[in-house]
Amino acid sequence: MASPNAAPPRAAARSLRDQPAAHLIAETPDEQAILVLHDVTKTYPNGKTALRDVDLVIPEGDFVFLVGASGAGKSTLIKLIIRDEIATRGAVMLDGQDVARLNRRDVPRIRRKIGIIFQDFKLLPTKTVQENVGFALEVTGTPHRQIAPAVARVLSLVGLSAQASQLPSQLSGGEQQRTAIARALVHDPRLIIADEPTGNLDPLISWEIIQLLSRINELGVTVLMATHNAEIVTALRRRVVALEDGRITRDELGAAYHRED
Amino acid sequence: MLSFIAFSLRRAWHGFWRNAVMSIAATATMVLMLVLLSTFFVVLSGLNAGLQFVEQKVEVVAELRDDAPDLKVVQLQQDIAALPEVASVEYIDKPTALAQFKQRMAQQGREDLTQFLDSNPLPATLNIKLKDPHQFGTVVQTLRARTDVVATVEEVQNLVDRVLTITNLLRTGGLILLGLVGLTVLFIIVNTIRLAVVARAEEIEIMRLVGASDAFIRWPFIFEGALVGLLGALITLVLLALGAAPLSNLMTRFFEILPLELGSLSRNLAVLVLATGIGLGTIGSWVSVRSYLLK
Repeated sequence: MASPNAAPPRAAARSLRDQPAAHLIAETPDEQAILVLHDVTKTYPNGKTALRDVDLVIPEGDFVFLVGASGAGKSTLIKLIIRDEIATRGAVMLDGQDVARLNRRDVPRIRRKIGIIFQDFKLLPTKTVQENVGFALEVTGTPHRQIAPAVARVLSLVGLSAQASQLPSQLSGGEQQRTAIARALVHDPRLIIADEPTGNLDPLISWEIIQLLSRINELGVTVLMATHNAEIVTALRRRVVALEDGRITRDELGAAYHRED
Repeated sequence: MLSFIAFSLRRAWHGFWRNAVMSIAATATMVLMLVLLSTFFVVLSGLNAGLQFVEQKVEVVAELRDDAPDLKVVQLQQDIAALPEVASVEYIDKPTALAQFKQRMAQQGREDLTQFLDSNPLPATLNIKLKDPHQFGTVVQTLRARTDVVATVEEVQNLVDRVLTITNLLRTGGLILLGLVGLTVLFIIVNTIRLAVVARAEEIEIMRLVGASDAFIRWPFIFEGALVGLLGALITLVLLALGAAPLSNLMTRFFEILPLELGSLSRNLAVLVLATGIGLGTIGSWVSVRSYLLK
C-alpha cells in the first residue's frame, strides 16, 4: 500500500479477492445465494468511506449475525441491500439481481422480497396491530379480501392473534417487536433483515425475539441480524460476520461474538 | 386499480382533516383567488360585449349643410363610397331624419315636441359604415375637406377608442393581478401538502421499506391537493350563486343593450372556476410531493 506506484498492485489485489467470492458461489450450487456482496465500497458524498472492499455471500436459508461497533458500517451495509443507498463500487446482488442496476420503478418489488425489523419497531401509533401488519399489504396493492387472511396467518405465527385489535401503545416492547416481525413476514420475504431488534428490549424478551427469528429461519427464510448483543450471538453459535471500520475482519461459522483465538 | 384509487382517496380525505387548519387556510385562499378570477371574468366579458356592441354601431356621420346643392351631395356620396375602407354610404335627407327622430322619441315614450317647430331643425346626413371600425382617418379627412357640403363630422370613433383602452388596461392589470394571486395560491398549496407530507414522514418511510410503489405514496397527496381545489371551487360557486341574483339585476340593467348571454356566461364561469381550482390544487401538490420523493 505504501508503494509509490500503487495502481498495479491494487488491481492485482482486487483480482485475487475476486476469486474467493466466485469460488464461494461455485461451492454452493444447490443453495442459490440469496445475497452476494462483491467488492463493495461505499463512500458518502461527505467523503466518509463507510464500507471498503466488502465481499459477502449469504446462501438461502442461512442465519447470519452481523456484529461490530457503532460506525463500523452495519447500517450502511443494510442500506445498500435494501437500496436505500447505492454502492460507490462493486455489486450488491439480491436473489440474482444487481440492486444498483434496478430501475427506480423496480425498487419496490425487490423490497418486497425483504422484511426489515428495526430497534425502534417503526409501528404506526394510530393503527391497531392488525392494521399495522395489513398496511404493508395495503400499500403494495394487495386486493382487499386477501389482506385479512394473510394478516391472521402471520399474527398467529408470531403469537399475537389475541392482541390483533390493540394499539401499539397497549403492547409491551416484545409484543411491539413481534408485530413488526409479523409485518416483515406478511409479504413472504426471502430475507429478513433485523437491525438491532433486541436493542430496546430486556434480556428475557430479547430471547423470545431471537427464538421467534430462529423459528422463522427454520421455515426457510434467510435471516441477517445486526446486533451488539454478545450474549445471544455467543450462545447461538451461528455464522458471525464482523465489521471493523468498514471492512469484514471475520466471517466464521458457529462462532462467538468476540474472536476466540 | 380500484383498490388503489379507493386507498388514495381515503388517505387524501384523512390527510385533509388531519391537517385541518392548514387545509382550511389553503381552501380559503383558493376561494379568494377564484372569486377574484370570477369577478375579473364577468367584468371582462361585459366589457368585451360592450366593445363589440359599440364597434357594430360605429359609423362616421357627416352632417350636411342645409344649403348644399343636391348634385354635390350625390358626388360626395359617390366619392366616399369609392374609398376602399368604406362598406356602405347611406344618405338620410332632412324629412327622413325628422321621421327617424320622431320614431325614436315615440319608442322611448317621450312626448313629440317637434310638432311645435315651424321648420325642420335636423340636418341631412351621410351615414358611412366602415369595413374596419379602426380605419376612419381617410374618411373623416375627406369629409372635413368638403366644407362646401359637410357641416360637421361626428366622432363616434372616440368612444370605441376609450372602451378599447379601458378593456386592454383591465385585461392586462387583471391578468397580472390574477397571476400574482395564482402564484400565491400555488405556493400555499405546495406548503400545505409539504406539511402533510412531513406529518406523514414516518408512514412514508414504512411504505418505502415494505415496498410500496411511488404511486401509492404520491397519489394520496395529489388527491389531497385536488380536494382543496375542488372544495375551494365548490365554495366559490355557491358564493357566486348566492350573489348572482342581486348581481345579475345590476348586470342586466347595465348590460341591457348588450348582446350578452347570461346562460353561457355562467356555464363558462363554472367550468373556469372548477378547472382552475382543481388544476392549481393538483399542480401544487404534484410539485410538493415530487421534490420530496426525488430525494
